[in-house]
Amino acid sequence: MQQAFSSSRNTSLKRGVGRVLTYATVGAWSLFTVFFVVWIVIASLKKTRDLFSEPWSLPSNPVWGNYVKTWVSSHFGDYFLNSLWVVSISVFMLLVVCVPAAYVLARARFRGREALANFFILGMGVPIPLLFVPLVVIMTTLRMGDSLSGLSVVYVALSVPFTIYVLMGFFASLPGEIESAAIIDGCSDFQTFWHVMMPLAMPGIATVAILNFVGLWNEYQLSLVLINSPENRTLSLGIYSLISSMQYSGGDWPGLFAGITIVMVPTIIMFVAMSERMISGITMGGVK
Amino acid sequence: MIRPRMVIAFLAPALLLYLGLLVFPSVQAFYISLFKTSGFSDSMQWVGLGNYIALWNDKVFWLSLLNMVMILVVGGVCVFGLAFVFTMLLSSGLWGKKLFRALIFMPNVIAVTAITTFWSFVFMPRYGLLTSVLKSVGLDSLASVSWTAPENVFWSMLVGLVWISSGFFTILILAGADKVPTDMFEAARLEGASQLQIFRFITVPMIWDVIVITMVLWCIQAIKIMEFPYAFGGPNISQDVYTPAIYLYIMGFGQRDPVYALGYATAIGVAMFAVTIAAVLAMRACLKREPLEF
Repeated sequence: MQQAFSSSRNTSLKRGVGRVLTYATVGAWSLFTVFFVVWIVIASLKKTRDLFSEPWSLPSNPVWGNYVKTWVSSHFGDYFLNSLWVVSISVFMLLVVCVPAAYVLARARFRGREALANFFILGMGVPIPLLFVPLVVIMTTLRMGDSLSGLSVVYVALSVPFTIYVLMGFFASLPGEIESAAIIDGCSDFQTFWHVMMPLAMPGIATVAILNFVGLWNEYQLSLVLINSPENRTLSLGIYSLISSMQYSGGDWPGLFAGITIVMVPTIIMFVAMSERMISGITMGGVK
Repeated sequence: MIRPRMVIAFLAPALLLYLGLLVFPSVQAFYISLFKTSGFSDSMQWVGLGNYIALWNDKVFWLSLLNMVMILVVGGVCVFGLAFVFTMLLSSGLWGKKLFRALIFMPNVIAVTAITTFWSFVFMPRYGLLTSVLKSVGLDSLASVSWTAPENVFWSMLVGLVWISSGFFTILILAGADKVPTDMFEAARLEGASQLQIFRFITVPMIWDVIVITMVLWCIQAIKIMEFPYAFGGPNISQDVYTPAIYLYIMGFGQRDPVYALGYATAIGVAMFAVTIAAVLAMRACLKREPLEF
């Protein structure tokens, strides 16, 4: 009896220690993410000298001028608008193209439907660097090389597989009874799609839109290959060019961190507002 | 009923874009890789498999391939090790699971250039955050290490890469673990199983298919990886962090002095594609098990 009691106390003690270790591990890792964001924002408000001499301190006098300098002299204002324009137009076009296609692939009955769906999904396995040279050749031939509209066309095309894949999942999960009811009530196939099924799939469509927005906002390799002119730079290219120029002009690290804050704040805000939805969208695309 | 006319109209735009700007360029890449060409207007010179033969004898290519394998294997062990630990800890019924999950994943929504700049500052010689931490705890011998020196820069890069990727794979594996019926965990817990035993003997077998898919996904991602090491390497990127994709970019579009070896660059892309397919098939063959029904 005595023995049994002490062993159960032992396990509960072990459990308690395990619990503490669990929170310590997960908590420390999570805190590091917070530290990452907060440290960058603080660094962006320091003087260069203070950043290097006291990297851990709070700035005594926040230097908001760093932002002015980055936004105006380093043209981050222009890059921000470029990114916003390219990404918004790309996501919009992507939905216009993919929502109907995914709907038909998920709900219509025709021969070769499954094969076609798999054909689209296969595109996720193509390594994008393989397309660097052919895409530059094609875009130059189409006279869309080194332009933001050309970049957004490529963004749309290369985002088709993932988008169709996730949207198909959403459309397939909608109940068939509602569709039948709409048809019995006299809706045409287009009306059924437009007035019934698409509104029902809105949460899914919104999820896909956000995921693509964040993905394209952070996209880097395609813009690096397709964009040459400084005036067409997106934010990621702007950061990279700032780093390149720092080798000559000496390190304006606070200005760089201001630029980084400008890049990351929009996606962090979206994530804070919609993390659940984004995570469930990604796990749906990755695991199913 | 959806009429054939609507099927065609709904599919056509997506199919056209997909064929024109993804399928066609993939096929065209094979064709371009058989030529020697440096520009878009100048004539293309047929070299057959010449680019591939040159690639075979190219030391830099093999170096980049070796780096990629190190990312794939060493990075993979770290990423999945961490993802397993986090999945195990997060599915132990702790308070604030969703918050922790979101914070662990969050680096994935931030621009790669932002993340690599931060890590560059961490590993910066003399003034970096890591050096300053090591100094303050009295590890002066470690503090004098140059983390961006040729022998260390790859590993410094890998730390940042693992940091992001572990969050990504945690949410995928955790999503699989969340689907396992909870009564199994409860039964095991009542029997006195530890968290590690539950994970090892219940969760892992139950979500084996998810683990296989995520590992295949890691392979695909690691083989084509370019953005993170490239941005980490900065404007004077050292060959120690080259991956095949970076070497492809450098050979094609170059740095400050573009090389414009477009045929050669594309041959690297084709080689990457072949490695991807081989790796995916090998992974699937090795990891295949009878799926568990539950």
